[in-house]
Amino acid sequence: MVAVARRSVLIGGAVGAGLLAAGCTAGGPSSPAPTTPAPPDPLLAELADERRLVAGYDATIARHPALRARLTAVRDDHAAHAAALVTALGPAAPPSSTTPAATDSPGVSPTGSPTGSPTGSPTASPTGSLTGSPTGSPTGSPAGSPAESPSTGIESSGGRTRVPVTPAAAVAALRAAERAAASARGTAALTATPDRARLLAGISASEASHVAVLA
Amino acid sequence: MTAPAPTPTGPGTPTATPSPTPSGTGQVPALQAGLAAEHAVIWGYGVVGAHAGDALLPQVRDADDAHRTLRDDTVALVARYGGTPVATEPEYALPFPVTDRGSALRLAVHLEEGAAAAWRYAVAATDDVAVRRAALVALSDAAVRATRWRLALHTSPATVPFPGD
Repeated sequence: MVAVARRSVLIGGAVGAGLLAAGCTAGGPSSPAPTTPAPPDPLLAELADERRLVAGYDATIARHPALRARLTAVRDDHAAHAAALVTALGPAAPPSSTTPAATDSPGVSPTGSPTGSPTGSPTASPTGSLTGSPTGSPTGSPAGSPAESPSTGIESSGGRTRVPVTPAAAVAALRAAERAAASARGTAALTATPDRARLLAGISASEASHVAVLA
Repeated sequence: MTAPAPTPTGPGTPTATPSPTPSGTGQVPALQAGLAAEHAVIWGYGVVGAHAGDALLPQVRDADDAHRTLRDDTVALVARYGGTPVATEPEYALPFPVTDRGSALRLAVHLEEGAAAAWRYAVAATDDVAVRRAALVALSDAAVRATRWRLALHTSPATVPFPGD
């Protein structure tokens, strides 16, 4: 790193990638036995939560179209998170049809019925992603979110995503959801294999930054 | 800088409670990567502060303070894990000329993206939970600051899906 420093202030992607390749060999032992078929892959809960977030943004935009410009890019970040988790899961990834979370119909969902839009995922319970978390909130997620419930403030009941009536309340709910998500992904990153830790850490940081946009 | 306020409590926490018997591997290289980046970022914020303008100075100072705290915490952590903390370079090259508020803000974004890349690397470079937690906090804080600078620049989108990519 020192040698590079003179060339650029930024210790950017290329260097990081090189170091990553060099450093990856070190991490092996913490692998949560991905080959064991018995326990479900822990990334499944993270994927379900990301899809739930996408659905929450879609429902919010449908209910409050004036928020579209502010929320679309954040919503798209979550779609990218979900896609990356699907890639990381490989064959274990459930098809997105399992969670009718509108990943295929970006943003422009059923405008008529605010609450009838892309629904929450019927799969994993919202609390699933935090099981086994060693500590409360490991990440720098603002306001150290309550670790016991990553259920995000996006309420899913009976398969519907409920959106608060006022735009301000809807944004506040999303903000809470982002804090919880950042905490959950961060917790998962602590004990994951190196590749997954890198992925989960990146997602967690992205979600922490979403809070700043929603402030 | 205010809301996430991770700097005082965040990176400091793991520093205060390092695993006395390191059970993991790769702690020192991971931390050194982060530390080298912090040195560069602190140098860079000196340039940002010189061109950002008075209105932005408080935010620049907050960011600079946060990175200095993180640097100090990281130096201590490297030493605690038996490493010799990497030193700062006397000078770094700028990625582009910085002449005014706009280019200063772009440099600030650039610096935070660099910090994010280094700390994200660090997360994956060790399996020590305490070090990973410290790296995660540093990564998140850098991502949040990058977003705030992008907002100040009116850059859209202000967030990225994978900070440090």
